[in-house]
Parts: sequence; structure tokens; C-alpha cells
Amino acid sequence: MSLAMPAVLAQMFAACAPFVHDFATGAATTIGSSVAAFALGTLIGVVLLVVRQRGGRVLAACVVVYVSLIRGTPALIQMLVAYYVLPAVLNIPLAPLPAGILALALNTAAYISEILRGALNSLGRGQLPAARALGMNGWQVWRYIVFPQLFYRSIPPLTSEFTMLLKASSLMSIIAVHDLATAARDATLQTNLPLQLFSVTAVIYFAILFVVSAASRRLERRVAKVLPHGH
Amino acid sequence: MAIDFSVVETSVGPLLKGLAVTAHVCVLGIPAGIAAGTVAAYCREAPARAVRALASAYVEVVRNVPFLILVYLSFFGLPKLGIAMSAFAIGVVATAFYTGGYFCEILRAALHSLPRGQLQAARSLGLSEWHTQRYVVLPQIFGFLAPATTSLTIMMFKDTSVFSVMSLAELTYQSNLLTADTFAYVEVLGTTALIYWACSVLLDVAGQWSERYATRYRRA
Repeated sequence: MSLAMPAVLAQMFAACAPFVHDFATGAATTIGSSVAAFALGTLIGVVLLVVRQRGGRVLAACVVVYVSLIRGTPALIQMLVAYYVLPAVLNIPLAPLPAGILALALNTAAYISEILRGALNSLGRGQLPAARALGMNGWQVWRYIVFPQLFYRSIPPLTSEFTMLLKASSLMSIIAVHDLATAARDATLQTNLPLQLFSVTAVIYFAILFVVSAASRRLERRVAKVLPHGH
Repeated sequence: MAIDFSVVETSVGPLLKGLAVTAHVCVLGIPAGIAAGTVAAYCREAPARAVRALASAYVEVVRNVPFLILVYLSFFGLPKLGIAMSAFAIGVVATAFYTGGYFCEILRAALHSLPRGQLQAARSLGLSEWHTQRYVVLPQIFGFLAPATTSLTIMMFKDTSVFSVMSLAELTYQSNLLTADTFAYVEVLGTTALIYWACSVLLDVAGQWSERYATRYRRA
């Protein structure tokens, strides 16, 4: 086993050598679209949260249904809807990459709004009346009191949501986005070396997500130093 | 745009047939995964270092590698190793493998939520290791496990849609066949999404019910 190991690894990487460029651009697409979808999703997630808290009954109910619908259907189906249904309904052409990013963003927004809502419910109840008593208006309360704490408190669940998002981004390969999963599948079709190519692909995904988790742990430690105790 | 309800009508039959396959995979795979995850959780506390390392490597693979890639690897790779498995069997094993990795972490969090003193107290009262687990640990962690296990079950139920890439005739695959046939993307994908949604909501309701049942002693 231990003797065969280097040989197996060498063979694996030899199988990938002709596809280094495809894998690199694929990985860049995977990372880039995940980051873009996460940024857009955070923005939408914040809007969903604010609408749910302050938007009145009807709008709040719409947000609840949206979140339930997103959480109750597979990301793969959402991907297909974004690519095939959305352009028909909105009457606009949508290329695979923007459709994929949009699907991921709309998906992650629902989860992010729930994460932030959980953090919101954990805030001390006296804080908001106290802020109002100090003369802050509604917007200032959200801007200076609520949001900073929401994001600080949500770093661990938001990181794990980003991990889920990056894993789900592999589903973009279904709608022909040239991401890492597509690079692996195309290379396999050309070489018929699925074991080697998909193992290396798994290692690349693993490495990317490992870096993400490590970065998140560092961030958490830094934030823990800034925040008051017992938060 | 108009919705063609006749397409919806003719699609429901094949889609429900697909749902039956999806449900079959889940019913076999998810409980098997919970069993695997339980074993993995105890392996992570094992005295032998190699066992602990193996169990945490398993969890890390599940957490950091997309389900789709594992499915591709198994579906295209296993035959190269001389292992012949049907798409259905691969689906069940992949579901169990993935469920196990996540359930291991859920169970560990639940076990660590108990104060250590309780175990020592139980042992000093003369309860055996098994009785301690059965009468002290299990009843308390059920309330903790129920919500997390519900979301895990819903997540895996949705993830089985990935098996459409290996032509397993589950719900998403049937939907793909219908859209390729009729080009009625709105109708077919809409119906498919509603079926998934209804099932997820039902699973969620069942989960809430089981959580209330598991924590009934807290209100007694």
C-alpha cells in the first residue's frame, strides 16, 4: 500500500497534466462565481430580512413563502429554472454563467436571511429601545447597531453557508457553465480515466474549501477579541 | 405567457413514478447513513489514534467535496475498479455516505451538549455503560437531534436530484425526460418543483412533530 501510493499519485497527476489549463480556468470560474453569488446573495438576504421584519404582513408572508420554496426544492431544479424558465418568463436572454450565478445567489439568499434572522433574535432586547432613546432613527439603528452585530455573530454559519454554496456551484456544470466539475467531466470523456480525474477534482475542491474554513476560523478569533464578553 | 395545463396533467404520472424512486433511495440511504454516522461519531472518540483520524478524514471529505463529484467518481470510477453496481445501488450508497458524514457531526454536537457530570453520576449509581446510554443520554439528545436530523433529511432528499446525471429514473431525471420531450419547461419544471416542495414541507412538519415528541419531558 505505502509503496504503491506514490506511483498511484504520480499516475493521477500524469492523467491530469494535459488538462491543467482547463482545470485552472474551471477552478477560477467555480471560485469567482461562488464569491459573486455569495455577495449578491448576502445583499438579497439582507433585503429579505428587512422586508420580513419591517415590510408589513403581506410582504413578510411573501418572504416566508420564498424562503420555504427555496429551501424545499433542490438547487439543481433551481439551476434549471434559472436557465430555462426565467429567460422565457422575463423575456430576456440569459447565458449559462449569469443564469448559474443568479440561481446560486437566489438560493443562498434564502439561507442567509434565515441565518441573519437567527442572529437578530439573539440580540439583547433592550438594545433597540436604547438606541431609539439615544435619538437614532430607524435606519441608523439598523446601520450602526443591528447590522454590525448580525454579521459578527453570523461568521461561523455564514462560512458554512459559503461552503455549501461552493459545493452547490458544481451543479452549474448541468447548465454547461465551464466550471471545475465541467472541466473534470470533459477531461474524463476525452481520456476515459474517471478515477484519476475525479479524484484530483475532489482534492481541488477539498483544498479550496479547506482554505475557506481556515480563513473563517482566523476571522472568528479576531472578531472574538473585538466583541465584548458574553455576547 | 400561458401555462399549458394539459402538459401538467400528462407529466404528473411519470413525475410521481420518479418520486417513488427518489423516496426508495432515501428510505434505504438515509437510515443507513444515520447508522454509519453513529459509528463514525463513536470512532471519533475512540482510544486508537488511527481510528480517530480515519473517522475525521471521512467527515472532512463529506464536508468539503461536492456531492456531484462523489457521484461522478463512483458512477464512472467504480467500474474501472471492477466493481459493477447499478445506478440505484450507487445512489443508495452515496446517500448513506453523505448522510453519515453530516450525521456524525450532529451526533457529536448533541453528545457534547450533555454535562459530563451526568455520565459519572449515572455510572456511580450503578448503571451499566449501556443503561447509561439508553436511559440517560438517549432521551436527552433526541430533542437536540430531531431538528438537525430533519434538515439533514430534507437536504439529502433534495440532493438525490443529482442522481439524474447517472440516468437513475428519479424525479429530476423524469423531469428532464419530459422537458426534452415537450419543451414545456415552465409546466414540467414548475410541477417538479412543487412536488419537491410539498415533500420537503411534509418532512419538515414530521420533524417538528418528532421534536415536540422528543422534548415532551421538558414540559412535564
